[in-house]
Amino acid sequence: MNLVEIENLVKRYPMGKSQFTALKNINLQFEKGEYSGIIGPSGSGKTTLLNIIGSLDIPSEGSATVLGKKIEKLSHREAARLRSRHMGFIFQTYNLLPVYTVFENVEFPLLIMKMPEKERKKKVMDALEWLGMTDKVDSRPAQLSGGESQRVAVARAIVKQPELVLADEPTANLDAENSYNILERMVKLNKELKTTFIFATHDEKVIRYLERKIYLVDGQVARDEIIH
Amino acid sequence: MIRFLIKGLMRDRSRSLFPVLMVSAGAFLTVFLYSFMKGTMDDLISSNAKFDTGHVKIMTRAYEEMADQTPNDLALLGVNSLVERLRSSERNMVWTPRVRFGGLLDIPDEQGETRAQGPVMGLGVDLLSPESPERDILNLESAVVRGRMPQSGNEILISEEFAKKLGVEIGEAATLIGSTMNGAMAMYNFKVSGTVRFGITVMDRGAVIADVKDVQSALDMEDGASEIVGYSENMRYDDGTMLTLTQRFNDKFSRVDDEFSPLMLSLSQHSGMGEYLDLVDVFGGIIVLIFVVVMSIVLWNSGLINGLRRYGEIGVRLAMGEPKGSLYRWMIYESIIIGFIGSILGTVFGLAISYYLQYTGIDFGAIMQKSTMLLSNVIRARVTGWSYVIGFVPGLVASVVGTMFAGIGIYRRQTSQLFKELEV
Repeated sequence: MNLVEIENLVKRYPMGKSQFTALKNINLQFEKGEYSGIIGPSGSGKTTLLNIIGSLDIPSEGSATVLGKKIEKLSHREAARLRSRHMGFIFQTYNLLPVYTVFENVEFPLLIMKMPEKERKKKVMDALEWLGMTDKVDSRPAQLSGGESQRVAVARAIVKQPELVLADEPTANLDAENSYNILERMVKLNKELKTTFIFATHDEKVIRYLERKIYLVDGQVARDEIIH
Repeated sequence: MIRFLIKGLMRDRSRSLFPVLMVSAGAFLTVFLYSFMKGTMDDLISSNAKFDTGHVKIMTRAYEEMADQTPNDLALLGVNSLVERLRSSERNMVWTPRVRFGGLLDIPDEQGETRAQGPVMGLGVDLLSPESPERDILNLESAVVRGRMPQSGNEILISEEFAKKLGVEIGEAATLIGSTMNGAMAMYNFKVSGTVRFGITVMDRGAVIADVKDVQSALDMEDGASEIVGYSENMRYDDGTMLTLTQRFNDKFSRVDDEFSPLMLSLSQHSGMGEYLDLVDVFGGIIVLIFVVVMSIVLWNSGLINGLRRYGEIGVRLAMGEPKGSLYRWMIYESIIIGFIGSILGTVFGLAISYYLQYTGIDFGAIMQKSTMLLSNVIRARVTGWSYVIGFVPGLVASVVGTMFAGIGIYRRQTSQLFKELEV
């Protein structure tokens, strides 16, 4: 069964008195365990597509089914529940909560899920171990380097072991070495935990790691390559 | 979640320290202003009760109608028996007759010619009976500036400022020139035993305190008095109790068709005093309301700024799947904690200043030179039970209301823009 199914998806935004079409007739399926990326230049619609898959936005036409839920039919509360239970997000600028420690930042999604403390602690330490950050549990984000911050952000995204991780330009603020580190760890997570990763990127460093490359041009799928 | 919330508050001063200081300031001002206004109003009532209205006052119906002219020709008669009757029937009250009078006080020289003269407002009170409550009610002994309290008949106290104006020394003679109860001219010689300062401008300007028996004698008012005043034993005015007493007395003694029949009025039934009492009651409410509104606007604004500052945090939490309602409640809980702590701090500081001013007061004598109100020159705060809790109303309510307004922004946040917003 497909994890994500997108059928005839159109997304329009009002622009003055007219409308701007960001996505045109998109048809895509993502299977469990895929390590794929939506690739395209700025304004090609890749973040808009990621938004819809992440239940942060709804299609203007067509349908997007994620983990069996039709995104366009979800209420705000149901969409929030879907995100909190089954999805992890990784942002370009890390977006760690500055007043909380590394441990607490990673713990936060589990708190939203109301997970018991004992289980929470174990999962947080597991996630930090995966990302090699156990020596920084008590550090605050301001004390971390860019690469370390992004590793914490990845730990926060995978701590609840979601079926789907959505990452928008995750290496844009990192140098080559840190990008390599992060990407290697995400590949490892994908292989060992079978977590599905969907990237939105135009960074060659990321693109090299992708097993499936979906090229978007002007809101349309121009090419869909699967690398074996 | 609460542990997380408290950690966030403790670690981020801009979401805890500054809002707490703001709430504290509001709570402090509310507590202090309430206590100070309460003290002022209570002092006004207390001064009026002591020197004028009593907690209850009995006059003839005719006297009451023209009381501002002190018409002693309409005074009460048979006062001794009425006072005795009241003392036996209303045992929880203290009763005492008084004679009010006006006139000229003439200070003679060695030849008996007028050396100085001035208009006086006189009060004949029971100064000499051992059981008299007046010394305590009027706080006479501590009001004496020079000389001593009258110890025998024909001795009087005059206000210090008036004495200085007339150039009167202790022990000198003073002649009261006035009119008797029957309208004839009255001249009566007294000896000045002391001078007093009440700290109430209207009394200090030109008052004479004499024993009621001397005044009765001087004004031909044997067994007569302008009024009989009554005070509750604990000297605390309770309007409900006094109104009941008034009703009971008037039902028994007062007759509408007899202008010389006695009429009892409670303090609140005197002109203007009821309004003052109501004012005291509503004043706290007005202060609190003003502070709730002002503080809500300030904290609303502060909440909006805080919301902008925490835009990223709110965004990432929404993206992670935290429901908007949960985030909104989080903000409200934060505001309750901040409001509570701020209210405690503000109340403690407000009470400290109020207690200090309850004992020391602020002397407004210099700006009350022409005052005609029976109001003490030294105005003191008064700490009541309400002073302990009133700061929590603006402190907590304004914090929560301000945050509720500011937090509406969370519901307006479009999740579809989160990726773009969080990448900035």
